[in-house]
Amino acid sequence: MRSADGALSEEALAEIRALPARFPEIRSAVMPALDLAQEELGYLTPAAMAQVAGVLDIDPGYVEGVATFYTLFHLQPVGRHHFYVCTNLSCALRGAYQICSHLLAQTGVSRFGEVSQDGLFSVEEVECLGACEYAPMLRYQHAYHYDLTPAKIDALVQAARREGAQPAAVAPPPSGTAPVPMVGPSEQGTPAPPQVAPPRRRRSAATRQEKTDG
Amino acid sequence: MVELRGSHAQAREHLLTGLFGTYGLHTLDVYRRHGGYETLARALRELEPEQIQAEVKASGLRGRGGAGFPTGTKWSFIPKDIPGPRYVVVNFDEAEPGTSKDRYLVENSPHLLLEGIGIACRAIGSHQAWIYIRGEYDGPYGMLRAAIAELRGAGILGDRPFDSDFALDIQLYRGHGAYICGEETALLESLEGKRAQPRSRPPFPAVKGAWGRPTLINNVETLATLPWIVRHGGEAYAQFGTEKSKGTRMLSVSGNVQKPGVYEVELGTSFRTVIMELAGGPPEGREVKVFWPGGSSAPVLTGSMLDTSTDLDELARIGSMGGSGGVIVMDDSHCIVKAAARLLQFYAHESCGKCTPCRVGSNWAVRTFDRIQAGRGSAVDMQILDRIQASLQGGRCLCGLGDSAGWVIDSTVKHFRAEYEAHCLSRVCPTGECEFARVEAPAVA
Repeated sequence: MRSADGALSEEALAEIRALPARFPEIRSAVMPALDLAQEELGYLTPAAMAQVAGVLDIDPGYVEGVATFYTLFHLQPVGRHHFYVCTNLSCALRGAYQICSHLLAQTGVSRFGEVSQDGLFSVEEVECLGACEYAPMLRYQHAYHYDLTPAKIDALVQAARREGAQPAAVAPPPSGTAPVPMVGPSEQGTPAPPQVAPPRRRRSAATRQEKTDG
Repeated sequence: MVELRGSHAQAREHLLTGLFGTYGLHTLDVYRRHGGYETLARALRELEPEQIQAEVKASGLRGRGGAGFPTGTKWSFIPKDIPGPRYVVVNFDEAEPGTSKDRYLVENSPHLLLEGIGIACRAIGSHQAWIYIRGEYDGPYGMLRAAIAELRGAGILGDRPFDSDFALDIQLYRGHGAYICGEETALLESLEGKRAQPRSRPPFPAVKGAWGRPTLINNVETLATLPWIVRHGGEAYAQFGTEKSKGTRMLSVSGNVQKPGVYEVELGTSFRTVIMELAGGPPEGREVKVFWPGGSSAPVLTGSMLDTSTDLDELARIGSMGGSGGVIVMDDSHCIVKAAARLLQFYAHESCGKCTPCRVGSNWAVRTFDRIQAGRGSAVDMQILDRIQASLQGGRCLCGLGDSAGWVIDSTVKHFRAEYEAHCLSRVCPTGECEFARVEAPAVA
């Protein structure tokens, strides 16, 4: 579990220790390791980055340099429900900015990159996500949501609020079932959300690097 | 399940997409029932690497990632005499704005890509392939992971695939959100666990690529074309297309069209057919104002140029390019300055910061566009934009990102100078779109 100083669990550290064996050189393990760290903590704390550097025996500054380069690594806390909304041209031409305004209003997020006061939501404006034929679209809980309308945004946000205390990460389609990875608004979910987000551990198998024997 | 938007049934020109839409095609079982992996088996058991290379050369296939470089020629750069490991690296970092064809391909038929990778491995004598997939592609990642697991279970990945002595393995590596990783040397840096900044060349990846080893980097669609070429022969593939642009390619059509989707067309098909027929044209009562023929980096063409061919050389001749096959269509209700401003934000955000013209120029352009859109533009801003675009182009940058940013400014000003002048000199937006308040001006890195 998440400790007070934002450090990684022993379990996560053990997984990180096993990563370098998969690559010809140890540095290739840095991003998968940061991925594991972010999945556990929600964002990359300075303590976690230092731990990754220690475990992989790499300079801490180097690890931070990698973390700051890539958009998908968060160096600040994000909401429990984090939306990546595409506003690049194909989506913008089909109303992405109106969708953004609506999403910000519905989630109570004041601006991109900030977390709502209840800690539940954050919204990030991102570049093209490569699903242009379904514009406007967004990425949320490791799935793409297509053909967005204000009504669809409302449904997503309401479902997120209902999910409450134990939001299991919505996993992408299990191996070899659905040919198209589209997850609609979750209909299950428990009522009565708490006001404050508890520490989370949202780790799904699908977000991890593939373990191989090669 | 979500509606399939694009080519997905048998047709003469559907060399890649003919089986798409078949129930269960993403599973090994169904893929094999339709002849899948027969070509890889033949490549491993009966064909010599030189024979595969010869077929690909004869096919005239050109890379589908953006540059359109002849695939057979690229393969021939891989040295034959260097001992030790060599790699096939798959560029699945599809991030060019307006481009979704590789996602569409893998979501429909992950095994088509994997079979193509196997054939490429055989052709250059590599036993290990890496698929660099952009981190946001959760769905395709899950499907490839499942498909690779199926192949391991069936022994098609392993020490003796199809009872040959050619060991084969494919690994997945996730990117973490950086457009620059589509540039092949930046992709290699990222695969090696570094900040993704392009390398200076030479040495080229063919000689010194991933982890210092000879490396072949190809786009997803390019590799997925190999099973067809090796099965039917390079000559048969060359029957499709034009004299210099052989075969078919997948175009993702997006923006202001009635039927956005990923359409496989024979090269040489006109954009009028692609945009007005396949994609249904602009909304009722609207005209095509402008379109990007090959991703946001391809210089724009106007609605009067719809009869332009998708032939790569024809596009180059008129000053644009086939690029990544992402066709973005904008109708006459939208403002060209606003569109260009949004794209410059993209290039500024994605500039890796390694070389000065791109890092400084793209951000300077964003500030200039901000001023123009805020109604504070002037004749000087037109000059500034012109100077920036000239400084970004012509090989002044380490990779194509800087040139692309320059082309956006250059081509939109060239075709729509009057609209720019209205913004800068008269401070009005002819479409009225720039009056709309933005949600927020995003901070530029």
